[in-house]
Amino acid sequence: MTKIGLEIHCQLTNLQSKLFCSCKANYREFSPNTNICPICVGLPGSLPMLNQKAVEKATMISMALNCKTPEKIAFFRKNYFYPDLPKNFQITQFDAYGPTSIGHDGKITIEGKEIRIRRIQIEEDPGRLIYEGTSEKTQIPLVDYNRAGTPLVEIVTEPDFDNPKQVRVFLNILVDLLENLGVSDPTLEGALRADGNVSVEGGNKIEIKNVASFHDLEKAIHFEITRQQSLVERNIPIISETRQWDDRRKITISARKKEEEQDYRYFLEGDIPWVKLNSDHFKKLREKMPESIASKRERYVEKYGITNQVADVLSSDKYYADLFEQSHDEKNAKEIANIITTDLMGFVDTREKRETSKLTHQHLTELVNSIMDNKITRNSAKTALQEMVSTGKSLIEIISEQDLDYVSDESTISSIINEVLNEEANAVQEVKEKPETVNFLVGKVMKKSKGKADPSMTLNILKKKLGIT
Amino acid sequence: MVSKEEIEHVAKLMRIEIDDHVVHIDRIQKMIAYFDILDKANVESEELIVREQTIDALREDKYIPYDGKLIENLKNYKGSYVRAPKLV
Amino acid sequence: MSGHQSWFDLNLGISALKYIEEIKNGNLTAEEFISKTIERIQKVDSKLHAYLSINEQAVEQAKSIDKKIKAKENVGACMGMPISIKDNICVKGTKTTCASKMLEDFIAPYDATVVSKLKAEDTIIIGKTNLDEFAMGFTTEFSAYGPSKNPWNTEYVPGGSSGGSAAAVSALECIASLGSDTGGSVRNPASFCSVVGLKPTYGLISRYGLISYSNSIEQIGPITRTVEDTAFLLNIIAGMDPHDNTTIDNQNENYLNDIDSGVEGKKIGIIKEMTHEGVDKQVSAATNKAISNFEGLGATFEEISLDMVAYSVAAYYIITATEAGSNLARYDNLRYGYDFDSEGYEFNSYLSKARKNFGPEVTRRMILGGFVPSAGHAGKYFLKAMKVKSKLTAQVNEALKKVDMLIAPTVPILPFRFGEKIDDPVALFLVDINTVTANLTEKPAISIPFEISGGLPIGIQLLGKSMQDKMLLQAAYALQNTVKLPEVPI
Repeated sequence: MTKIGLEIHCQLTNLQSKLFCSCKANYREFSPNTNICPICVGLPGSLPMLNQKAVEKATMISMALNCKTPEKIAFFRKNYFYPDLPKNFQITQFDAYGPTSIGHDGKITIEGKEIRIRRIQIEEDPGRLIYEGTSEKTQIPLVDYNRAGTPLVEIVTEPDFDNPKQVRVFLNILVDLLENLGVSDPTLEGALRADGNVSVEGGNKIEIKNVASFHDLEKAIHFEITRQQSLVERNIPIISETRQWDDRRKITISARKKEEEQDYRYFLEGDIPWVKLNSDHFKKLREKMPESIASKRERYVEKYGITNQVADVLSSDKYYADLFEQSHDEKNAKEIANIITTDLMGFVDTREKRETSKLTHQHLTELVNSIMDNKITRNSAKTALQEMVSTGKSLIEIISEQDLDYVSDESTISSIINEVLNEEANAVQEVKEKPETVNFLVGKVMKKSKGKADPSMTLNILKKKLGIT
Repeated sequence: MVSKEEIEHVAKLMRIEIDDHVVHIDRIQKMIAYFDILDKANVESEELIVREQTIDALREDKYIPYDGKLIENLKNYKGSYVRAPKLV
Repeated sequence: MSGHQSWFDLNLGISALKYIEEIKNGNLTAEEFISKTIERIQKVDSKLHAYLSINEQAVEQAKSIDKKIKAKENVGACMGMPISIKDNICVKGTKTTCASKMLEDFIAPYDATVVSKLKAEDTIIIGKTNLDEFAMGFTTEFSAYGPSKNPWNTEYVPGGSSGGSAAAVSALECIASLGSDTGGSVRNPASFCSVVGLKPTYGLISRYGLISYSNSIEQIGPITRTVEDTAFLLNIIAGMDPHDNTTIDNQNENYLNDIDSGVEGKKIGIIKEMTHEGVDKQVSAATNKAISNFEGLGATFEEISLDMVAYSVAAYYIITATEAGSNLARYDNLRYGYDFDSEGYEFNSYLSKARKNFGPEVTRRMILGGFVPSAGHAGKYFLKAMKVKSKLTAQVNEALKKVDMLIAPTVPILPFRFGEKIDDPVALFLVDINTVTANLTEKPAISIPFEISGGLPIGIQLLGKSMQDKMLLQAAYALQNTVKLPEVPI
């Protein structure tokens, strides 16, 4: 049986500062080596100063993944030499003296399958290497320490996945969960990374490292299962090892020489006393915790009668959910949910579009209330929504500029219908024979009114005039 | 007695080259042999005493840019990066 | 500049408190004192090698402080007094080598917290003092730049690792010094050079800017000629620091107030395991005399047994090697260090070559530090050492419920000659048997110069309760005043 486990690294991108110093947590806006200080470059004499918010955010992740949280957390040193690691050790968490990582023994359920979380730990990200030179033999690593010390939370699962599809579903849910918690922005490059381990029936566990994205991880796992199964079929033993994902060739390759370095000599980091987490801490954080996605979904369906499908989309995307929460009331909730999940989705489907969008929740409230009060058609509303996103103008401004008033005046619609009936003699004939084709004429009327005519009124008048039911 | 080979292996992991081989290994062996005294200490059941702090004692999450020009004072600083020896 | 005294009556041997008084009274200028100190260094340091570098701007700095004094501007409490700093503590813009070839070219880009605090009080950092490489040793013989000598007899070691600091204070090459104490590195040389050395409660003084050797047990500590001066310096350098998570709030304690409270009614425990076996007879006699002097002042004594002391040195070496193996891993010569081009090397082989600049003792400790916490050996060595540390702490805490403080000689033996112990690592281990307990248990401990026996100094150690450094200083002051010691012969 195939067994897959994951190690997910989540940068706490929503923090202001790094894990142990006051440099910026979001290093992406800096030119190389300008977001550094003696602490994150590990200069002699510098000491780590643990970020309080990092502990809080990590606790929230732990609670959201239904983990047990210890009364005291401890930090350890993981010792190894690498050019991106300024101190040649990483400050992380470890459970050498009982559970002292921020979380352990959690679980979440995906599609009826329970995935156990073994451990959640707080640690620092290393710096980044880029390479100078072309051939593998002559590549000189160039180090950028801007990322060194960025707060990370590592989530380690048990090998509970049976196939790559479960991995994908899990990661999608996890991304939504982390975003909903307000701890990490998954659209930032490198904010979420995952390594995996795979074993097939009759083989040993293989670790897969160096995977840049979740998407690649799925591919790497696929590749590994196939590779390992073919070894088993040919009776070639599978030796436990670490393999690197080669993004260019889309294969995994053995990471040689790693074996000798497996002894990390974990021991307690004396510069950081153990942090006591009393019940007040957990209580305070529980109050601060945003409502879970599942609870939002349930509320949307039960309280507002929103369909399951719409509630799913709305609750799992923090951007939409936040807009919804701010703009709706009991009366308009369902309509707002529909507008967001049908019309708005097309306008703000990328990070860039969301960042530049000028749409506010007041816009949405106003727009939906106007639809419900029959002041504007859904068609016009869509046009207005696009304008709001790009210009931030108010509904009134947009209506007057673009002539979007709603037409529900019977005589105006009636006169437009008369024009259409004159122009579309053939269609009229057809409708009289096949009443179900009436929508063609409705469409013509809508077009002539520039989308402003009330569609149901139009239909009723048309039917009356043509004598159909 | 800890073997010479084991000491050499650990030295390699620590990125330490031993020149004055015999003297170093002899002294290290003596030191490690001395540590065997701990087998008589009878402390297996002892609980570890650790230092503790409350979460309130931790650093506030605030961005404060470092005011010095750190990178320019580091060695091997070329262009915008620190050069490391090749990894292969 | 015209002084009020001719230079030959200017006494470099005055205490810090006396210096301040003389400056305030207008009997002395900072410039005179600094110039005279530099002359003294030029005269004696070729014999002693207490310093690794000297502050070339010291006289200029003294002049500007004098100017402030003359203009009646605000002047810091130290009023230009010369203080030296062990060369493993960062002073901005100066070389901080840890007496290692590995950091031959390292210029600290920032001040240690203790240095900022001293500078804020108008101290003149007169120079950086010698030590055993990365503070690993008890004689300064492991300095990559050559050993310091004992001012009482230059054929003898000054103790270590803060041997340069103790020698400089003893030989009047500065008024006071800051050392660091990981297993006795302040107290041991203080004892060997007949000066006062304090290892404060862990967390009382910020370690920010102290280059870590074994960070979970070490502390910066003052080395001075009088107990009052130690209290005076502690007032300046102690307290919480936003740059060190392990510092403790001392409520702005004033250590100098009531320093003359005495020991009337105090109960002192004599540590059995540190006062009998392996103690030189002169040291033993001095200890007994100190006890009887204390008794004369109204203190009472009882013997206390701490059986974990027998394992303390082994535990100490295992913990320090483990932490040092990790703390010194950053010396890969990629970002700072010394001149050695990496061109053409592979990463790991470059590191191994670059790290050959570690001296022999550091090299051995690196290997020990790779061995004792490794997956296969941690249970036998590192974990057991941690448990010895815990049990020793529990025993000392228990003892300090019965008595106010503990007493033992600082070092069980007299100062020894160069080369005498360097070749026997285990013999050298036992030099620290009386000092490592304070480090392993986080307790404050002080060495007080008590006797000169056959021309060689003997110090007495007091060990107190956590955060009761003040009580310890009061007792030390009382003991200091029971003896009159000869002047340093150099």
